[in-house]
Amino acid sequence: MNEQRRQILDMLADGKITADEAERLISAIEREQPESPPGAGIRPKPRPKYLRVVMNAGDDAGGDGSSRVNVRVPLQLLRAGVRLTSLVPPQALTRINAELDKSGVPIDLTQLKPQQLEELIDQLDDLRIDINDPDNKMQVFCE
Amino acid sequence: MIPYLVTYRQRRRNGRWLRLYIPVLPALLVLSPLLLLAGLVGLVACLAFRISPAGALRGAGQLLCALPGTRFEIQDGRTAVLVSVR
Repeated sequence: MNEQRRQILDMLADGKITADEAERLISAIEREQPESPPGAGIRPKPRPKYLRVVMNAGDDAGGDGSSRVNVRVPLQLLRAGVRLTSLVPPQALTRINAELDKSGVPIDLTQLKPQQLEELIDQLDDLRIDINDPDNKMQVFCE
Repeated sequence: MIPYLVTYRQRRRNGRWLRLYIPVLPALLVLSPLLLLAGLVGLVACLAFRISPAGALRGAGQLLCALPGTRFEIQDGRTAVLVSVR
């Protein structure tokens, strides 16, 4: 049931319009928006499968050519890698935390749950990073 | 599904290409004695570091199954390396 039809029925239930008026309004809506067959609605955007990193660097002065990097990593691989982090024993995480703290990076890895990382990967769909420089160009996106 | 072909291509400084096509399943079969040994070492390591061997095996399997579609292409001047997993 679409929103307009619901509003009309609400108005009818509240007694703001009569049954005849409601019928006329619904008919008018149907004329404006012919009923689409089931499954022919708005198609959901296909979910991206790969994370791409593309970099094109121009020739440096004195260099012997341009540099190009083209990386395609399946998002499923990132998810599998994230799941592997759940196998890291807690004592190892404690030691990593201590080393990170010693290096001036006070991040508590024990607070980072695999579910949160998976959500992060799920949200990568709309990620797009474009870095344009006169000589270099870098793009990070999902496709 | 596990990967079935790994392609490695390398362009050397003289411009010639080295191409390697590695069929994964036959390579795994050939290397199976070594894999068995590696599996035993992995099992001991899991027990030593108190990691669930089943979880580690599942994780490694998921990682392997997620590999198809991976592609690394790096070119620097006349040198280029391409690794593709299908």
